[in-house]
Amino acid sequence: MTDKEITGIVVTHGQLGEELLRTVRLIVGEVRGCYALSGSDLGDEKVVESIHEILKAHKAGAAVVFVDYFGGSCGASCVRATRHLEGVKVISGVNLPMLLDFVTKQGTMGLDEIVDHLIHRGQESVRVVEI
Amino acid sequence: MVILFRIDDRLIHAQVVVGWGRRLKPDRIILADDQISSEGWEKELYASAAGPDFKAAILSLSGAVEQIRGGVFDSEKVFLLARGPAEALEMLEMGLEAKEINVGGLHYREGREKITENVWVDGTERGLLREIAKRGIILEARALPGDRKITINSKVV
Repeated sequence: MTDKEITGIVVTHGQLGEELLRTVRLIVGEVRGCYALSGSDLGDEKVVESIHEILKAHKAGAAVVFVDYFGGSCGASCVRATRHLEGVKVISGVNLPMLLDFVTKQGTMGLDEIVDHLIHRGQESVRVVEI
Repeated sequence: MVILFRIDDRLIHAQVVVGWGRRLKPDRIILADDQISSEGWEKELYASAAGPDFKAAILSLSGAVEQIRGGVFDSEKVFLLARGPAEALEMLEMGLEAKEINVGGLHYREGREKITENVWVDGTERGLLREIAKRGIILEARALPGDRKITINSKVV
């Protein structure tokens, strides 16, 4: 893992995060520096602790924390874990196109730029499909 | 120039567009298929699956061979997709040149036997792959570019 890589942590209810990452691997192959945490399997404090452990393992480099639903306990834990940290952003409403871009466009953008890109990608992927 | 010639019964899908596309960065994905190229809405469906990252061309088998041989895509890096061994062989018989074909996805269905995790064939398809192998073409079975390259020529004889 190079310094330029940005760590990804997907925090969700149930096994959604794990399954999202499993699906990402199915589509692009092995990915490194990405983790899933289930907020409903772990206590809130444990979620905060796990986020800190992952960040520490990556020497507190840049990170994006993806959360499924803002307004739930997972979102609150993400905010609690990261609000005082530099170089860590939280994005809510995680979806598959967003994660695919996160793992395939690593290294081409800095943290702020990739966060803007992921928000745009996530939003534009929600649309009426008309063929 | 065709940089990836792939047999995949799912045609243009996420593994192709994201898994292969973002690694090899083609300019265009050509889907060669007589059925889809003749159906307006299906054509549009697969063309939109390639975008916005790549240009798409949905062509008949003969149209694809003619345009590739005619040099239409010489200045582009191209993925060429066919849904099965029959379609791939038909294009080779029309004069398409290839050194290697990526047998990327022939998924399980009843009557097919397993060659690798992502390649299952029935007797007819095995025979067609054998015909392709006889032309000296390497058949390699990878779903994704980072997978181990498995040559399956010896498994279709």
